[in-house]
Amino acid sequence: MSHSARRLRYVLKRLIQALPIVLAIVIMNFFLLQMAEGDAVDVLAGEAGSATPEYMAELRAKFGLDQPLPVQLAVYLKNVLTFDLGYSFRHEMPVSQLILDRMIPTMLLMVSTIMLAVGFGVLLGLIAATGLNTWRDTAISIFALITYATPLFWVGLMLIVVFSLNLGWFPTSGMENLTMFYEGWDRVIDIAHHLVLPTITLSLFYLALYTRLMRASMLEQYGQDYVTTARAKGVTERRIIFVHVLRNALLPVVTMAGVQVGALIGGSVIVESVFAWPGLGMLAFEALFARDLNLLLGIFLLSALLVVAVNLVVDIIYSSLDPRIEVG
Amino acid sequence: MRHLCKFALAAVAMSAALASGAAMAQKAGGNLVFIVQPEPPSLAGYLSTSGPIGLVAPKIYEGLFDYDNDLKIAPALAESYDVSDDGKTVTFKLQQGVTWHDGEPFTSADVEFTVMEVLKKVHPRGPNSFREVTSIDTPDEYTAVFNLAKAAPYMLSALSAYESPMVPKHLLEGQDPRNAELGNNPVGTGPFKFVEWKKGQYIRLEKNENYWKEGLPYLDRIVGRFIPDASTRTAAMESGEVMYGAFGAIPNIDAVRLRDTDGFSVTTEGYATINPMALIEFDTTEPPFDNPALRKAISYALDRQFLIDNIWFGYGKPATSALSSTFAGPGLYKDPMPNYVPTADIEEAIKLLDEAGITPDENGVRAKAVLDLIPYGEDWRRAGEYMKQALVPIGIELELRYEDVPTWLKRVYHNYDFAMNVNYFYQLADPVLGVHRHYGTDQIRQGTHFVNSTRYPNPKLDELLVAGAQEPDAAKRGEIYGEIQSILAEDMPVLNLFEMEFLTVYNDKLKGIDVSGLGAYGSFAEAWIDD
Repeated sequence: MSHSARRLRYVLKRLIQALPIVLAIVIMNFFLLQMAEGDAVDVLAGEAGSATPEYMAELRAKFGLDQPLPVQLAVYLKNVLTFDLGYSFRHEMPVSQLILDRMIPTMLLMVSTIMLAVGFGVLLGLIAATGLNTWRDTAISIFALITYATPLFWVGLMLIVVFSLNLGWFPTSGMENLTMFYEGWDRVIDIAHHLVLPTITLSLFYLALYTRLMRASMLEQYGQDYVTTARAKGVTERRIIFVHVLRNALLPVVTMAGVQVGALIGGSVIVESVFAWPGLGMLAFEALFARDLNLLLGIFLLSALLVVAVNLVVDIIYSSLDPRIEVG
Repeated sequence: MRHLCKFALAAVAMSAALASGAAMAQKAGGNLVFIVQPEPPSLAGYLSTSGPIGLVAPKIYEGLFDYDNDLKIAPALAESYDVSDDGKTVTFKLQQGVTWHDGEPFTSADVEFTVMEVLKKVHPRGPNSFREVTSIDTPDEYTAVFNLAKAAPYMLSALSAYESPMVPKHLLEGQDPRNAELGNNPVGTGPFKFVEWKKGQYIRLEKNENYWKEGLPYLDRIVGRFIPDASTRTAAMESGEVMYGAFGAIPNIDAVRLRDTDGFSVTTEGYATINPMALIEFDTTEPPFDNPALRKAISYALDRQFLIDNIWFGYGKPATSALSSTFAGPGLYKDPMPNYVPTADIEEAIKLLDEAGITPDENGVRAKAVLDLIPYGEDWRRAGEYMKQALVPIGIELELRYEDVPTWLKRVYHNYDFAMNVNYFYQLADPVLGVHRHYGTDQIRQGTHFVNSTRYPNPKLDELLVAGAQEPDAAKRGEIYGEIQSILAEDMPVLNLFEMEFLTVYNDKLKGIDVSGLGAYGSFAEAWIDD
């Protein structure tokens, strides 16, 4: 069997294995969310100021909340199997459309964050490991410790105070300039401009993780026999680091990044809240307080699917980085 | 003698404003970005009185009336009105030449449809505001005659764009207003047209070029922005990205700082039609708060001024009665009532408890209770922490509970599983609209939010409430409400804490936002930016 056919079979097998997992996640989420007191109608009626019990009963009937739980679950499962995530009665919109609208801002923030965090983390980890116990190493370690230990919302607010209020370099929040409503390339630049502070805030936290991980991983690889062998062969130190050690040291970083991509897709409530970034995290957060269960279940389902997919991708990247790891 | 009222035409009022000083010459053009927080569930102001809807919808829809800062009626879609002697016929003359944003003309048929088919049926407060309306005649396109079963003087206080928006009959007829497309794509007669709603980001409105008020609005565009974090809202205000934030969008702690900063102003105007009152509701059916003496003792032991000064940064007025002192305007508020003190009187509180035979146990505890706190922000939590301490000297031991909104609503208004609940109510522009719901026996409606959760029954009071709603004579009405206030001060099923003052923070470049008593719920037709 050829290599690519084996890989394809492996992917298919993994996908089939994922089905019952995803189904179990959906069912568990469904019952978990039912345990919260109050429902969407309570929230809507509470916000409206007052509403008659008849009106609330009507709303419950309209939302299908008057049905027994197993019926509600069956209806939901049936919808999910036909790729219909249901309707958000709070937003008066299909759940899939709500999620899609938030996907682009979420992806923008997450992809730039991961790239920045992994890129700089690997770089800093590398610098720290190659200059072990020098001032470079100490400075980077202290930097990583501080950024890791500082609460995200505080970092975000301080960046706003310094770079938006005092220096006026970046907007405080949002994704677009709402007095101008730019079009075309101006809009792209405007969005990028708005993206800077949230990306830096969110990546500072992950940057620390990757720096520490990369440093430790590099040091571990240094002690391996193959490094000694390479040195004995007379390979230059530079070549040892960049060709041999770096490649192996990246494995745990990739593992970590894979785990985090899944989590990051769910959004970051804190950064989205501080920077008023229209991501999935805030959507989920607000849906929880509004008891908008269809929407929440939709977001959870999406996250579950992404985690499954990302894990699969990571396993495939492993086999490229380290040919000893085989799929199958 | 018929009571007749004619308004000055809007154009006249406008030219007066223009004449008031060349330095204030309004400039047309410009974009206003203001804070809308939280994001509204829809833009159907005819279905929900939810605060954030009120910030946006009245720029798109209009009511029959507007109100000034003294709650006096100003013309909007109704050019004039006329109330018959017996108060049972109210005739509105409508503005001519008004069109909906889709080009259809606005006529008396829209008024009839809005009140009879929408507000009376699906609006949360509409069935109450328009309860006496039996039918509406439309003798011609610009006349709407409301036929009432009984006089309903309070109805004229409930006709603003926020409380009773006029909606297009041609877009709602034959549909269930609750499901109609109009909720997310509003079409009104107001100064601004709906353009776009980016969920999680903003709502964008553009100038209505065909607005019936000549020369208005000044602004080209209004954008309502959603910013979840309070500190970021303040930063956005400081950086000039947003120019207006009302209903405490900028927390008091930052508002007082901005007030003292050049370029920003803070006002408490624009909340007269809402009249918010902070209060405590008691479960009057079960011990310990079935005993009025305990409720009154708490009223004496709490230092209202301390709460205002330290938690709300000086914004607020100690409550002195079941009614807000703003009702002194229409002559309904009676002088300060007994059992209401601005600063704590511990001795009096202890005296009351001793007389009622509520004695301390060996630990000095006379009563224990859980205090539920309205989950609308940190201020209420601080208030709860203060109360817990403040009631220790009179031997009342409190445990604080702070839940999320749905859980709290269910607990208080559905399960009645509470003893003492800190809350706030909008008393609105008339006690019939905002206060009656808290006390009437007919308002003990399990499962309905913000009504009589104390389950306090008093047949005598019920009679007075009915009489107060129907009395057309202002002086007699004042006497009835005086009596109501005396009874409530004595029984105190609800303990009013203080008349809240919400803060509006705005950039000094923004002008013309103070012309309507509706404040942030106003149309912003006359708002303009002075660069």
